[in-house]
Amino acid sequence: MRHRLLACIAIVAAAVSTARAQQVQPEIFTLDNGMKFLLYPRTEQPNIIAAGWVAKVGSANERPGITGISHFFEHMMFKGTNTIGTSDAARDAQFRSEQDRLRRELLTLQLTEQYKRYKDGEIQDPWDPAQDTEQMRAIRTQLDQSIQAERDVTVKNEFDRVYTSEGASGMNAFTNNDMTFYFINVPSNKLELWAWMESDRLYDSVFREFYAERDVVHEERRMRTESTPTGIFQEQFESMFWMSHPYNWPVIGWPSDLNSYTMEDAQNYFDTYYRPNNIVGVIVGDFDPAQAKSLINTYFGRLERGPEPPKVVTLEHKQQAEMRMNAECDCQPQVEVRYHTVPFGHADEAALTVMSELLNGRTGRLYKNLVEGKEIASSAFAQNNNMKYAGYFAFSAETKGDAAPIDLERAWYEELKKLQTELVSDRELQKVKNQSAADVYRSLQNNFFIMLQLGYYEAQGGWEYINNMPRAIQAVTADDVQRVANAYFSETNRAVATFNRKAGSTEDPDFAAMKAALPAEMAAMAPMIKQQIESQLASATLDELMQAQAETQAQMAQMPAEMKPVMEFALKKIAKRIAELKAAENN
Amino acid sequence: MNRIHTCTITAALVMAAAASLTSAAIPPRPEQIKYAELVFEPPMSEDYRHEINVNGVSVPVYMAPSHEFPLVSISFSFKGGAYLEPADKVGLASMTGQMMRRGGTESVSPTDMDELFDFYAANAGTFVGSTQAGASLNSLTSNLDQTFALFMDMVRNPGFDQKKIDLYKSEAVEGMKQRNDDANSIASREWDAIMWGRDHFEARVTTETTLNNITRADLIAFHDKLFNPNNLIISVTGDFEPSEMSARLEKALSGWASGQRMPDPPAPTHELEPGVYHVEKDVPQGKVTFGHRGLKRDDPDAIPVAIMNDILGGGGFTSRIMNRVRSDEGLAYGAGSFFASKVWYPGEFGVTYASKSATVPYALRVAMEEINKMRTEPVTEEELMTAKNQAIETFPRTFESKDGMLSVFVGDEWTNRDPSYWTTYRDKVRAVSQDDVLRVARQYLDPANVAILIVGKWEDIYKGNTEIAADPSKVTTMADFFDGHAEELPLRDPLTQKPLPKN
Repeated sequence: MRHRLLACIAIVAAAVSTARAQQVQPEIFTLDNGMKFLLYPRTEQPNIIAAGWVAKVGSANERPGITGISHFFEHMMFKGTNTIGTSDAARDAQFRSEQDRLRRELLTLQLTEQYKRYKDGEIQDPWDPAQDTEQMRAIRTQLDQSIQAERDVTVKNEFDRVYTSEGASGMNAFTNNDMTFYFINVPSNKLELWAWMESDRLYDSVFREFYAERDVVHEERRMRTESTPTGIFQEQFESMFWMSHPYNWPVIGWPSDLNSYTMEDAQNYFDTYYRPNNIVGVIVGDFDPAQAKSLINTYFGRLERGPEPPKVVTLEHKQQAEMRMNAECDCQPQVEVRYHTVPFGHADEAALTVMSELLNGRTGRLYKNLVEGKEIASSAFAQNNNMKYAGYFAFSAETKGDAAPIDLERAWYEELKKLQTELVSDRELQKVKNQSAADVYRSLQNNFFIMLQLGYYEAQGGWEYINNMPRAIQAVTADDVQRVANAYFSETNRAVATFNRKAGSTEDPDFAAMKAALPAEMAAMAPMIKQQIESQLASATLDELMQAQAETQAQMAQMPAEMKPVMEFALKKIAKRIAELKAAENN
Repeated sequence: MNRIHTCTITAALVMAAAASLTSAAIPPRPEQIKYAELVFEPPMSEDYRHEINVNGVSVPVYMAPSHEFPLVSISFSFKGGAYLEPADKVGLASMTGQMMRRGGTESVSPTDMDELFDFYAANAGTFVGSTQAGASLNSLTSNLDQTFALFMDMVRNPGFDQKKIDLYKSEAVEGMKQRNDDANSIASREWDAIMWGRDHFEARVTTETTLNNITRADLIAFHDKLFNPNNLIISVTGDFEPSEMSARLEKALSGWASGQRMPDPPAPTHELEPGVYHVEKDVPQGKVTFGHRGLKRDDPDAIPVAIMNDILGGGGFTSRIMNRVRSDEGLAYGAGSFFASKVWYPGEFGVTYASKSATVPYALRVAMEEINKMRTEPVTEEELMTAKNQAIETFPRTFESKDGMLSVFVGDEWTNRDPSYWTTYRDKVRAVSQDDVLRVARQYLDPANVAILIVGKWEDIYKGNTEIAADPSKVTTMADFFDGHAEELPLRDPLTQKPLPKN
């Protein structure tokens, strides 16, 4: 076995050198209005084109009061234009302006009267429609009527229908902290349809169904954040971690803000950020670049260049002390330890990525030592995330058996210490590099995924990353890994979130009570005690159990105080087991 | 075949490009754009199908090489799955699948196996699902000899290391503990039980007891039964030459004892009981699934039903349920319907959405109205054209990647699908009429006999939008369904699946 292991090193090293040569070279085509296109023809997947465009704007460009507007705006972009989505553009505009007027009246009442009632302690939630005043109720009814009436001139989801009936598929978009990305697949003879539809919504966007869509986003928030086991806590942790940077509000927005933006806010936002000079288009697949350039000229050339959008000014302020959040939820006990690191494109990004890969995977250190070795984790992984303006490195893990989040946290610090004090071996480093090299090929096998990568990297700072990062990873040394492990992972630069299962959920309450009552030095033995007691009970007969119960009760008085919790635990278990066996006899 | 078509298309595109350079006018509507014709004929499985001989058994091998990257992807597909495990050992099938990859081989330790695959940067995996099992390898061409040898050792002689079995079991218990954390996972388990019955393999759940009943000997026996060359179809894509690959496979499989081909999965005996069911969970949204049994994959009505469902709720933003529940009313982020067909017995029809507690009943009413409308009025010509065009125009995507194409061929061979299905598919779609849609809606949608499952805060859900509806005509409560009758399903202990007492 050992022989085969050694022999393979030379072979794989050879493979890596071919991987290193892999290059993606899209043609760059920039219009006079500043809109840049990346064109990457590829014949391996015939008959299909993946196309998208990315606006270099996300929640980081927002401000308090309009948080979530980037994401909300993404929803609005599917509502059509004066051509798509309405049978009567003029009447539709009247309805929209009427609704905007009513909504502003309502908003004024909300922010004055309802906020006052809320501050006075009269109502719990100023946005709860059940707390509406008479006047508000009347406006809401009018608003509802106007929305109903607008339906007569609305052509529902026409944007989607046009694409769908022409065989386009996978139409969607996403918003994150740094960008808003819109994408689709079209049959290879229908690139012009994409150019028509996308340039139309950039040229002539209207904010239709503005108010009903807000309810949809509220439902999205309820679904993603509020109804998932850890969603609301992840949101809080994120908000705590970013002290000053606008990454500290959620992409979906705070609920109060979501209720508050007006069409005017949306229009200002559009005029500022959705200009061709702030947008990049990406086309990958079975197409002819000459024809694509001609279409791009015709369709996107009509968009008007805007002033340079404002820059994000606020930097993340240097963290001064450890931050900690303790949550209780219906979830597997878990921990996250997170550190401020570097933004996208920083010189240390590759070494931090290698560090995370050394920890991850079936032969990575976390699996080997926490999941196997110590058997305290059911899962554990590291993540190096470099966003446009700032980055972080996170360790996270879920517990196993009776291990607690604190055990996982300590084990992580041990792993970290090793990375800080010992150089990684050549073989371990080479393994990570081999995987990175092979994964480059794997990531370039699908048009849609190539399109997403090019657009994503371009919005973060430059598409060339797709070629540069794999090269940078091959160049990382063991010294580099040790250096970054020391540079970014101090106690004062970390935030820790622990999640414990809410009492009354599935953890054995008797066991929890025993563990809590034991002196600290004995608490660690609790799992062992539990296991011993349970295994004895499992094989005992009813008579033996009754006898044990009597004896334990008799001994109780003579036991030292610190042993009492164990005896009580044993008695509870014996009583339960007796009840079970009796019930079984009766059946 | 494909390559030739791509060339003609490219030529047509160049001509179109030349034309558009001379006149750069933008048509007022997207429907007015003129497109070059895209000619596509589906690939025929027989053009990719080969056979190799293993001890007198001929094993089908589908091959589609491509030399874009120095990677080879080999996939072994076996018939069989969880339906073959005994009721007191639920979990055996999936554990066998996992442990083949994790438990080493008879001569290579688990650690050495992991290290080798990882160091060679190969992705290797094994699985046993509910009706299919498989093993796959994705490797750099340069070290295929080594990775493939280890892969074959894993498939033929898995070691099932006892320590790794113990670790797997303890991890599985941790996974079980999370069963009630997410409302969606509660909903999906209970829905399967309502649909198929708790004893059917589609709905059976591994418990701590059934897990502990499984021994190493069970894994070995289950592996030996399923993973044999008489129960195997192979597919290969990537950087290789077919004749060389056939020889390589024949050599690697030689001497592998042939066993039995596995039987078809059993049909459920359970009858769906219409009514309202709810499970208590403290979340701000009610998770709703409702529906009934559907039809078989090869049913002659399957295509018209798919078109009908696309219009009703399967087509995303172009479908009626999404339009009304999300776009008109803002009641949910996502809402839709599905017909999940099954090969061996009728599948299921269902509608799903999640809405804040107060609007769960109103959204239910809206969805029911749409189902009733589907059964009473013909769909519009425009809706029908949208659904049909989409099915026809996206058809080439089924075969767009070589992996995807071969997995269609393998699936078809396992399930005896007539190869003419693909050559006639678009004609069958074109033939669907408004009358057909109305007919199948009446035949296959039965809103009076649905089972409705709701996971959430029942007290808030039951009283509906009484307090918040601005329009009194929209007020809806759960009393409006099945005369207000509802059965509370208990939350189940995550480890034993026995009902938990109410809090």
